[in-house]
Amino acid sequence: MSSRRGIQRAARPLALLAALACAPISGAQQGAPLAEPDFIPPAPGTYTLHHIMAAPEGQVLGIDGRPQPLSHYTRGQITLLGFIYTQCTDPEGCPLAYRVFDALKAAITATPSLHGKLRFVTLSFDPARDSPDVMRQYAGSRVAEKDGGLPWYFLTTRSARELMPLVEGFGQDINITFDRSVGRPQRELSHVLKVFLIDRAGDVREIYTSTFLYPRLVLNDIETLLIEEDPRRSRAPVKVTSNRRPGLTTLGASSQPWRLANLRVEL
Amino acid sequence: MDHKRIFCTIAALAVACMGFTAALRADETCNSPYMSRLIKGQEDYVYVWTLGVQGLGDGSDKLVTVNVNPKSKNYGKVIYSVSTGARAEAHHMGFTDDRRHIWAGGLSDNRIWVFDIATDPAKPKLVRTISDLGDKSGYLGPHTYYALPGRMLVQALSNTRDKGGATGMVLYNNQGKQLDSYAMPAEGGGYGYDLAVNPKKNVMLTSSFTGYANYMRPLGELINDGEAMKNFGSTMVIWDLKAIKPTKVLAVPGAPLEIRWSLNPKDNWAITATALTSKLWLVKQDAKGAWIAKEVGTIGDPSKIPLPVDISITRDGKGLWVNTFMDGKTRYFDLSNPEAPKQTYEKATGKQVNMISQSWDGKRVYITSSLLANWDKGGADNEQFLRGFAWDGKELAQKFEVDFTKEKLGRAHHMKLGSEVLRSSAAGG
Repeated sequence: MSSRRGIQRAARPLALLAALACAPISGAQQGAPLAEPDFIPPAPGTYTLHHIMAAPEGQVLGIDGRPQPLSHYTRGQITLLGFIYTQCTDPEGCPLAYRVFDALKAAITATPSLHGKLRFVTLSFDPARDSPDVMRQYAGSRVAEKDGGLPWYFLTTRSARELMPLVEGFGQDINITFDRSVGRPQRELSHVLKVFLIDRAGDVREIYTSTFLYPRLVLNDIETLLIEEDPRRSRAPVKVTSNRRPGLTTLGASSQPWRLANLRVEL
Repeated sequence: MDHKRIFCTIAALAVACMGFTAALRADETCNSPYMSRLIKGQEDYVYVWTLGVQGLGDGSDKLVTVNVNPKSKNYGKVIYSVSTGARAEAHHMGFTDDRRHIWAGGLSDNRIWVFDIATDPAKPKLVRTISDLGDKSGYLGPHTYYALPGRMLVQALSNTRDKGGATGMVLYNNQGKQLDSYAMPAEGGGYGYDLAVNPKKNVMLTSSFTGYANYMRPLGELINDGEAMKNFGSTMVIWDLKAIKPTKVLAVPGAPLEIRWSLNPKDNWAITATALTSKLWLVKQDAKGAWIAKEVGTIGDPSKIPLPVDISITRDGKGLWVNTFMDGKTRYFDLSNPEAPKQTYEKATGKQVNMISQSWDGKRVYITSSLLANWDKGGADNEQFLRGFAWDGKELAQKFEVDFTKEKLGRAHHMKLGSEVLRSSAAGG
């Protein structure tokens, strides 16, 4: 790789991470700094993102109330999609996803080479309470605008009937409980945080839970998808090391057979 | 020693050498960290993956539901069973990440049966049979079912080419589509057994056993075949979880089996038991961050071949149950210092015991009896049961027993817990 183009390619992940490091956390969900992974993630392009499944199809509503097929928001660009409900307060749930999305948005906005290639989708799984108007208020200034090339769509559905095929198609867990201790039964939602990375063809390529939702990893995966589209990029092999000493006598794979005598039992 | 006694001893030794495939994540504290909806209160059901016995009932492998809620009139009773129509050395099972399905398989068959447990938790329904594991991957004997987000990683024990111990893992999506396969590192002999992950460290850890040619072979032949007896695992492998690529092979002699990561958020260590040598091994990072394995304890008297077959870690990482098949004992180790586990309790809980499961709060412990169809003890020692115990920190008190032979069910093997709370419900408004 000796050309200027090659240098630019090699520098892209570094630029992304630098932008991420400098990205401000904005909006009402601002909180403690996002945790960094306690490990060195594999380099972009050195691993496979499987075609886990096709993103499900169904009707959704934008903040303008217009119905559209979900595929309108999951094809043609790399998409990061997360389910939320606006009344969620679990710090390991929707607020965490929001903060990660914010950090990623700032990093991506600061990286012109990614403009026009990505979008975010936030989809409510509480259609009874999260109307298009509520979603508009929830989105605040994040709503899709021409603000640096990153469209962010806030969607909901008309009803549980329209929502459920999407929830089940993504494998998103939702629990509904009813709290009857407050007089009139209060419905409470809870869920396991999942964020879905979807490629241009509409296939889910990675699913992040709270234990793996680090902006750095998401950026690596986005970069991996871009490398997949441009396979000329170099890939570093993963080195395999061993603590086994040559000639170490162990069972099985060594030259030393496992014998009944090893059990120290006399017949 | 007369011939009969010699044979029994040889058979016992063969069991000791061969019959330790029957243990894996069995309980609420040993599920994949990606799995949602842990049962942290009283469980309603224990699902028992049961080996069919020819001439007993329908003779098929089956998933049996036992009611274990003390408030139920059916407490301690079998309330449902669903047969596969096959007898395939039923062995282990695992939940999908959304806990809507159980995947279960057998060691003599490459089929995987998928049961819906969300629609009616009391009555699992067989909804899918996956039959392409061997044809597409070349592996044989699906053993471990480990939930990843939207996917299931299946560890096999053998291969279709020579039915030896070289094997690998197969990745499926939750709909049963095979996505990829991964060979175990040749440096460790290619063996596989269990797998468990620590996402905080981006680490997956695997252990090693032996292949179909050994674990399905008649005992007398095997123990007299010195070459065959070489073919047991003696390694554990550290993998890059994200990439599913091996990064380090650790020497752990004696067939390391079940892997349990501490569930304490502050911990980053795992523990395992070696079947052949009756040792506890700790896998941790050293001061420089390198992953190492070290022997930290002994289970019973190794010279008497207690044969540890299953372990179960408490939710705080401070205690470990260990079942040993040969002496039918259940032992408890204090893991406050994982570098030096200390046995604090033991009790004979059966004439042969295999799997051990505990509730999330550790107050209830469940034990089953069967190891492998060909390796279970004979005659009066061949008890087949599910036994439920209460644990108060000092004593295991038996609360119920289901006799799987009397009930014409088969050999009681792997367990998973179920609850009515997990019944599917509609979302939104």
